[in-house]
Amino acid sequence: MHTFTDFVPTDRLPDEWLRVGRRHRKAAVTAASGLLYAGGWSVGHVSGLETVSAGVLVLAAVVGGYDIAKQGYYELRSRTLGIKTLVTLAAVGAVVIGEYWEAAAVVFLFSLGSYLEGRTMRKTRTALQELLELTPDTALVRRDGAVVEVPAREVEEGEVVVVKPGAEIPVDGVVVDGESAVNQAPITGESAPVHKTDGDEVYAATVNQEGALEVRTTGAGSDTTLQRIVRRVEAAQETKSPTESLVDRFATYYTPAVVVLAVGAFAVTRDAMLGLTLLVIGCPGALVIGPPVSVVSAVGNAARNGVLVKGGEHLETAGAIDLVAFDKTGTLTKGETTVTGVEGFGTDADEVLRLAAVAEKKSEHHLGDAIVTAARDRRERPDGARTSDVVTDGGTATVEPATGGSRPVPDPDEFDVVAGKGVVARLGGREIVVGNRALLDDREVAVPGPVATHVRERETRGETAVHVALDGEIVGVVALRDELREAAPGVVAALHEAGVRTVMLTGDNERTARAVAEEVGIDDYRAGLLPADKQAAIEAFREDHTVAMVGDGINDAPSLAAADVGIAMGAAGTDTAIETADVALMADDLERIPYAIGLSRATRWNVAENVAVAVLTVAFLLAGVLGSVVHLAGGMLVHEGSVLLVILNGMRLLRY
Amino acid sequence: MTETTQLRVMDFDCPTCASTVERAIRSAEGVADVEVHYTTGRIEVTYDERVTGPAAFEQTIENQGYTPQTA
Repeated sequence: MHTFTDFVPTDRLPDEWLRVGRRHRKAAVTAASGLLYAGGWSVGHVSGLETVSAGVLVLAAVVGGYDIAKQGYYELRSRTLGIKTLVTLAAVGAVVIGEYWEAAAVVFLFSLGSYLEGRTMRKTRTALQELLELTPDTALVRRDGAVVEVPAREVEEGEVVVVKPGAEIPVDGVVVDGESAVNQAPITGESAPVHKTDGDEVYAATVNQEGALEVRTTGAGSDTTLQRIVRRVEAAQETKSPTESLVDRFATYYTPAVVVLAVGAFAVTRDAMLGLTLLVIGCPGALVIGPPVSVVSAVGNAARNGVLVKGGEHLETAGAIDLVAFDKTGTLTKGETTVTGVEGFGTDADEVLRLAAVAEKKSEHHLGDAIVTAARDRRERPDGARTSDVVTDGGTATVEPATGGSRPVPDPDEFDVVAGKGVVARLGGREIVVGNRALLDDREVAVPGPVATHVRERETRGETAVHVALDGEIVGVVALRDELREAAPGVVAALHEAGVRTVMLTGDNERTARAVAEEVGIDDYRAGLLPADKQAAIEAFREDHTVAMVGDGINDAPSLAAADVGIAMGAAGTDTAIETADVALMADDLERIPYAIGLSRATRWNVAENVAVAVLTVAFLLAGVLGSVVHLAGGMLVHEGSVLLVILNGMRLLRY
Repeated sequence: MTETTQLRVMDFDCPTCASTVERAIRSAEGVADVEVHYTTGRIEVTYDERVTGPAAFEQTIENQGYTPQTA
């Protein structure tokens, strides 16, 4: 944030002073009107000088009312019957019938009320802008062999930016030199710093905490992840939630009804003040302001915690969630599959791994990648040092010591993927089949008893076991495991605590799924699902639940779309995930899910409270006015009080 | 040529005030489209730059008693 003297040339200063004056005009006008009002009232009460008192009170009404009347004029010019027109009418009416005290009071109270409303709304409006201000204004760029300081938005894509330790990163980019811990809280909401080294992505506005980094720019200025997030959040804040739309529709009928009521009351009683009072206090201020303030505050709070909610609508739906479905791989687990054991049956274990790697070499499946990586690691370290511990519980051969492992993994001559089952490859005229039981049955490969027992054992531990067959005969089994995220059991427990059912969806077989489900403590699981089956499962749950689906946003896009609320994880930097989800978690942080659901529930309550306050206030005031208990000034006090109350109540969500 | 600019008003005190500003800007010559958002205070104007410009919009906003900021 600049102070205005930072960048304003001196010849423009008077103009700027005018602006500063205008900015505080409302406060000054309100204060002056209040002082005059208090003065006029005291003069009347203490000295009994009626004429002086009336003069001062009228002055108070004029000082406070000038701006209101001007805004009322603009309302009329745009053919709106707004509160400012009504307040002006009421004040003028009060003066005409000699109620000077009422006139001064209504103007002062309205002026004070709208000043406070403007100020508090400014707080909700600037909550997001504060995030943007975290991006530094300048960047150190390598240009023509020198490091120069330039405005951050003028850094070109591809240029290398130097980020000193302790400094904010000015652009989005990829680390090309150096190593450091970066605090990504402004983007992801995670307070723990993330380790960054060559090839890692970094985001503008995050803080480089340790070493110097050199970053090749991928986006600067308005083309950064943070800027995109803020634009999306603003768009979300600007869309109306179902309650807001409902309230707006209601207001379009309600306002004319109040006018009819006021005119009717005037016609019957011939009491002009009564009619004007009804118009002023009948304004649905708190009703139309309450729901949007709640939603804007909640969406802003979520954004600052690394949760992008794409609209008030999703916030309201998320508050009703009673079932959360998790995709297993990459969501409940880390999505980093590693080989945990290789068992040879009549063949050396290293040879089994090598054969599996040949078959999987061209596959893009994550299990295939893990097998190829394991085979390569073993080849590079033929002394038997392993990246993963190999535990065998007795078989015909074990993996140690690795002798045949040093042979390279050749490309297969032929290669076919059997979706959901495995791969079939050919090398030097021999056929290698790597896959699950279903694939072996398809290929009519017999599974001997000891192999089946071994596979079962592995699966009951939550591992995925893949058979390796050579020329129609099983030679071994590769076991793989994708570690659970540490947070998963706690998050599932927190959801149960909140009365939410949890379900895991996975393509894994029944036994592996059950073992993982038990480990996480999840209520239910669906195993052996293809992507289309996941979508069908979600649709089935929706018959009697409000369902959230948590996935990575790319592979799970159809099931995210099928759910009432689709939640994508780890969305920072992947626009596709943000596109497909209703709620995007910037970090790979499961713990944001109970938070997001809690916040949504709090928002639903908050909106309901605000609607209740507004409706009760108006009902109470209308009754009071019609029963001659409430008069203009008192009615205005309660009316403005109710508007402030709903704004302050909504703003509590900023601190949820 | 059609241009789009963005302004901010942080001190709107009621939703109607935002609609009033919106109507006032829309009625000006050369303005093709305008959106004023009460909740965020964001104003987006699409206009013909040969006819009008941001200074005119700021003037309209100031006339109505609000403080425009460029953003």
